Amino acid sequence: METLSRTGSINRRQLMAGAGALSAATLSGAGRFGAAQAAAPINFVGWTFRPDMVQGYVDFYNKTYGETVSYSTLPWPQFHQTLESRAFAGDIVDVMYCFHTFRERWAQTGLIRALDDLPGADELKRAMMPANLESLLSKEGKLIALPYFVNLYILMHNEPMLQQGGFDKPAASFDELVEQCVKLKKDKIAEYPYLPNWNPTITGTTPQFLTDCFAEGATVFDAKNKLVIDQDPAVAQVLERWKKVYALGLVTPEIFTKPSSTDVHRMMFTGRYAYHSNISNYLQTIASDTKESLLAPKKAKMTPYPGKVGSTYMWTDSYVLNANTKSIESAWKLMQFVGGNLHKDWYVQQQWAIGSGLDNVYPDLYKEPAVVASYANWVDLPTLRAQYDKGKVSGAFKEQWYPEYDARSVTILHDMIRKNLSVAETIKALVALHKSLA
Amino acid sequence: MTALDPGRPDDLALQPEASASGPARTRWFARKNRQAVQSEGWFAAALVSPALLVILLIVFLPLVYSVWLSFAEVDLLRPGGTAITIFGMRLPLYRFTGLANYSKVLSDPLYWQALLRTVYFVALFVIEAVVIGFAMALVLNAHFAGRGLMRAMLLVPWSMSRIAVGILWLGMLDADFGAINGILYRLGLIDHYLSFFSDGFTALNVLIVVYVWNQAPFATILFLAGLQSIPQDLYHAASVDGAGFWRKLWHITLPSLRPMMFLVLVLATVNGFLMLDLIYVMTSGGPGNDTTTVTWLGYRTAFSFFKFGPGTAILFTLTLICVALTVIYHRLILSRFQSE
Repeated sequence: METLSRTGSINRRQLMAGAGALSAATLSGAGRFGAAQAAAPINFVGWTFRPDMVQGYVDFYNKTYGETVSYSTLPWPQFHQTLESRAFAGDIVDVMYCFHTFRERWAQTGLIRALDDLPGADELKRAMMPANLESLLSKEGKLIALPYFVNLYILMHNEPMLQQGGFDKPAASFDELVEQCVKLKKDKIAEYPYLPNWNPTITGTTPQFLTDCFAEGATVFDAKNKLVIDQDPAVAQVLERWKKVYALGLVTPEIFTKPSSTDVHRMMFTGRYAYHSNISNYLQTIASDTKESLLAPKKAKMTPYPGKVGSTYMWTDSYVLNANTKSIESAWKLMQFVGGNLHKDWYVQQQWAIGSGLDNVYPDLYKEPAVVASYANWVDLPTLRAQYDKGKVSGAFKEQWYPEYDARSVTILHDMIRKNLSVAETIKALVALHKSLA
Repeated sequence: MTALDPGRPDDLALQPEASASGPARTRWFARKNRQAVQSEGWFAAALVSPALLVILLIVFLPLVYSVWLSFAEVDLLRPGGTAITIFGMRLPLYRFTGLANYSKVLSDPLYWQALLRTVYFVALFVIEAVVIGFAMALVLNAHFAGRGLMRAMLLVPWSMSRIAVGILWLGMLDADFGAINGILYRLGLIDHYLSFFSDGFTALNVLIVVYVWNQAPFATILFLAGLQSIPQDLYHAASVDGAGFWRKLWHITLPSLRPMMFLVLVLATVNGFLMLDLIYVMTSGGPGNDTTTVTWLGYRTAFSFFKFGPGTAILFTLTLICVALTVIYHRLILSRFQSE
């Protein structure tokens, strides 16, 4: 198997040896026994992000535990749709990545199973941050996924640019941030000093909107996941500020069509922006990739998020277990390895934290010396942990209407900013959109 | 052999009508001919049936099924109703909702805005692709040193994957580090880097330019093939009569290129209406909805919002438009040519 998958071919000698061994095993009656002992093969599919790293720990897993996990990837844009089509056609992918907005749908339609009844699930639940655990539960309160990584929105600043502008510390409030940016623009130090993540994708404008609202302590969805932005004046203040910073020419118009949050964070590489808001792990490349980023090493730093309460939006992406898997034991074991602590040293979590700066739901991980040392290369870990503690999840993504609301609300928000539509009209349009879908 | 040669004397001798008079003999020949033709038809059908079966499976069946989807309420993971299995493929029949999807789509202002945008996109794209493609074909049809190399290079934009084209142009047009901004800046034509996607109208036109860059070479190749099939004698004769470049172009080249013009127009129009990948890579339909065309709207409805019924309905409206335009092109260009 190993030979075939690695080289794509098998020579005559190997074939004869294999056939001989098989014949001998069959004749001696050991064939059936042997098959019963072999680990069940498991299909593991993820979207294409650091496949080299994933293949590395899958190889480690197979070797260490004698399992046969076959890992493959699908491109991100069609990842979930492809897996749905494959499931519909009868294909069983035992363990899959799952973006948070798809989990509830997959659980409700029976594609994936709840994990609460599996051995060790309770222990993992206890080890998680409560907010992240909440994110991984279904609407019915069942654990339906184990964590891949946490997306936490943070604010970062370009220290050399602020110094050039005469500021000895980053802004502590949004008013101060706007003032600094206006001065930087006026002094021609930066054409567009502020870089919020207003890209049109699911990791862009909407999380940025939730982040800015949460930072002000505003309520966007109520306990029943109903959109209530028309009942909280703090939301209108956020939107007024968005309009204002754009009208002042502090934000590049380019942002509205950037294809991904990854592309936006690369804009920060240029050192042309004073402030940038994005998912926390992007700071790792901005602040430590000396080949790519002009803000490495550590010229970009994290700032506590401004606002009345300084909370930011976070969500948890995950691994899910196929409800129809034929090898539940092996599949669950793999789930625990990638999404838990099977190796008792947070093996996979550590790899992601060190290799890509991905945040994690397990607080214990942040006590690991290797992780602490790695984070020190690009972020002030106590500041990040403080922001993490203020991270807020929203349960609205568990609603079936959410993906469409999410995508269509982006155009409403962009039109408000670009075409200077009134905040009142915008809020009304968003509420009407929600009503039409919910 | 007999089937192909019904009048063989030995065959004829075996027949009772062989000695009969003229009409009987004619009837016999007619019957034999019919049998021969029928037999030949069945033989031909047997030969092409495997290919027909494949076409049926991979073209016709999905087409009919997608038409059905446009009249149904579809949830990929929750197939209501019954299902049929054809050659091992399970096709759920979902819930028939009549014209509900079409009605919903056609009453959505977003659809009409997208349609207007699409018509603008297609009109400009087709005109530019045809004019530029034809002009390049005329140039490359002339004799000059390096013509072969030029023709080969012409294929590069067209042979590139459109996803790659989109990424390439995104990089070149980038407002932070794009080569185009860099060149314009160094030439002193701009005093700061421009954002080509900040304004919806500009973004739409940028998409047209990129698509023309990608597709015009194909029009050139077709026109070039057409130009090379025009007999040179016609040009020589025209020259003897004192005709200049424009008269030759108007009276010889353009009329001779009508079939190719029809082909180019149909292909460019259909390609224009169905263009999705560049939008996917470069603008995602934005800013706002300013580059949302009907194809993008259909794609987004079906694959982002999982509304396959309305999604296919949106896309089938485009199919109808494309068919109608093809008929119009045929009437305007080809029918008159054929009648001449």
